[in-house]
Amino acid sequence: MSEAIYTAAFYVFGLAAVVGALGTVAARRLIHNALFLVLALASAAALYVLLSADFVAVVQILVYTGAIMILLLFALMLTPQQVELPATAPAGQQLAAALVAVVLFGLIVAAVLTGPWRQAVVPLNAPTSAPLGTALLTTYVFPFELVSLVLLVGLIGALLLARES
Amino acid sequence: MPGLAHFLILGAALFCLGTFGALARRNAVVVLMSIELMLNGLNITFVAFNRYLAPSFGPAASAWAGQVFALFIIAVAAAEAALGLAIVIAVYRLRHTVQVDQIDLMRG
Repeated sequence: MSEAIYTAAFYVFGLAAVVGALGTVAARRLIHNALFLVLALASAAALYVLLSADFVAVVQILVYTGAIMILLLFALMLTPQQVELPATAPAGQQLAAALVAVVLFGLIVAAVLTGPWRQAVVPLNAPTSAPLGTALLTTYVFPFELVSLVLLVGLIGALLLARES
Repeated sequence: MPGLAHFLILGAALFCLGTFGALARRNAVVVLMSIELMLNGLNITFVAFNRYLAPSFGPAASAWAGQVFALFIIAVAAAEAALGLAIVIAVYRLRHTVQVDQIDLMRG
């Protein structure tokens, strides 16, 4: 029973993520792009829950759909454009981009299907916040401090670049 | 029952759709959205590797490398989105356009 629910949840949220991704790259109205991206990000959070990563799922919803999407919506509203401008590149460039994307997808799928992955089949059914916190503050303390430095630099840089003067 | 390959192919699909969007759209904000999509595909791949390839979900540090990497990708994506959008807003203030083919002052 739970296997059927897991499979159904994977396909539902996987389909929602792919539909969200297609809408993000193909929609005409800019707000539609943003809303499709919200669908894709929320579906990714649901997929993290399926993969026993509950903390990453909640952080995804808080930071990605909560903060980054609000930032993107603000930027969309602060840069209004005439609607008759072409939304996509010329047809030749679009064809080349589609070719690149399809070839890349084919290569990755070929690598995934032929790799001898050894797999653990036992899912974790415990909260991951405590072990992640321990790992972040012991083994990964240097990247953790560096990421806070990156965020500080990003904050100062964004303030300087977007100032009125 | 979906296994590692299912999640990896899903992550690859998101990544390739984001690549197409970054290469084929003209609005700079939509290009940034496509890059966020690519980073999400990466995150799904990392968390799937963590779930299926981690030696055990125990105290060994490498058991959590995938999720820790995903957290760092989310943090760096937030900083990159903020900086990228600040640049887009500054460019819009100067040129009153965010079409990437009209921002060509440095073109030879």
